[in-house]
Amino acid sequence: MIQLININKRYRTSAGTKVVLNNVSAEFPKGKSVGILGLNGSGKSTLIRIIGDAEPPNSGRVISDGKISWPLGYTGGFQSNLTARENARFVARIYGANTQYIEEFTREFAELGEYFDVPLRAYSAGMRSRFAFSVSLACDFDYYLVDEALETGDARYREKFRLAFQERSASASVILVSHNEQTIRRNCDMAAILHDGNLDVYDDLKEALKFYSYLQTRKVA
Amino acid sequence: MADIDVSSNRKILTSDVLDAISTQVRVIHALILRETKTRYGQHKLGFLWAVLEPIIMVALFVAIFAGMRNDNPGGMPLVPFMLIGIVPFALFRDVMNQLQGAIATNKTLFAFPQVTTFDVILARGLLEILITLGVFGFLLAMAHLAGFTINVQRPLEVLAGCGLMSMLGLGLGFMFASITPILPSLRQLTSAFLGRPLFLSSGLFFTADSIPSEIRQYLLYNPIMHILELIRGAFFYEFETAHGSWHYAIAWSVGALAAGLVTHQALRKKAIVGL
Repeated sequence: MIQLININKRYRTSAGTKVVLNNVSAEFPKGKSVGILGLNGSGKSTLIRIIGDAEPPNSGRVISDGKISWPLGYTGGFQSNLTARENARFVARIYGANTQYIEEFTREFAELGEYFDVPLRAYSAGMRSRFAFSVSLACDFDYYLVDEALETGDARYREKFRLAFQERSASASVILVSHNEQTIRRNCDMAAILHDGNLDVYDDLKEALKFYSYLQTRKVA
Repeated sequence: MADIDVSSNRKILTSDVLDAISTQVRVIHALILRETKTRYGQHKLGFLWAVLEPIIMVALFVAIFAGMRNDNPGGMPLVPFMLIGIVPFALFRDVMNQLQGAIATNKTLFAFPQVTTFDVILARGLLEILITLGVFGFLLAMAHLAGFTINVQRPLEVLAGCGLMSMLGLGLGFMFASITPILPSLRQLTSAFLGRPLFLSSGLFFTADSIPSEIRQYLLYNPIMHILELIRGAFFYEFETAHGSWHYAIAWSVGALAAGLVTHQALRKKAIVGL
């Protein structure tokens, strides 16, 4: 279970202070895929970075009973002038994991072929996300934080990841952030909606999506 | 009951601290390896350049000064004299310059919660110090093979001087690394108003004794001048410094390091947001 307790986050911008998270408290149960929906600019990435401890909130706490991954996204954490192998080794080292195992697992699972020894800057977006997912799967987290990246890559590979996560769903859960309700519908068991600094958690996916489409129409109007 | 609670708390605390330390050591080790790869991995000439640059500098300034004067500075042979100004100075300037961009160039790494701005800055500083010391040793060996007398009078003091120089570089480096993301124009300012003037005025090319005392008293406010004098005094049998003060140099180095760490501690959160 991941618990958010009274989390506040503000940004100071030239246009004044923007409240991203206004005293947010929530609970995400273990073994369920949670989708976090929010319109562009609602602070989804900030929220997931706070859950992953990549950024401190102004106040409040995150409590969890397991290992949380770093926020998986397009850029997260990788040096583009190093190869996949070198990046995988780096991740293994900072997590204190077996370097050889992480390297082997990533090489096999990412299916990058000879690109495994080519600097990441030569990769397509799909190859990058394949690599990022494979390294994180190798690290065996209890919670995977995913920032939009599922939609890149081809359909067969997306399916491979879905299965890999499903296989682990007894022990691991995914928290997936997106502005796209299709993504959430396909991949999640429940959803939370981030709007105006509040996070509403719905056990029922349909209800969440209904509220989200209302938010979208409100924005257009 | 209360006693049991206290002792169990203490146990958790100790193991937490040990955990944190081992994580930090792991992260810094990983960062150093990664930094080595990014700096020297792609270009095969990368490491060669680290050695060539000081050789070219020494050759250039030896040529200039040999043409200008015919006596040896402070009785020291000219080539080792230049070498033992230019390379120790690099410990200060290159460490400072490398650290200045440490947070900005590694920003994607902060997605990993265990990687802190402190680790990134320190790893880069340690790598730069190790490389410069390696280059220093290599060049001394080369100079020896080329027929120059390399006979170090007090090696430990030379190392101590190098340590003080590195601390100065680390201190200012930590400071600028933390301020630069918030105030990017600082980058130009430090190289134009700090690196270059210090390069010319710190005694890389002259001894304190060789300049008029009215000017010398001002130049001796500069701790780098003290450290270079001390290193040369410890290195050469031919030279003892009358002006370099260990007390003054240590006070500056320790002060700079403390100021750098305090500045970093105060600004590190803002520095990440400022990126």
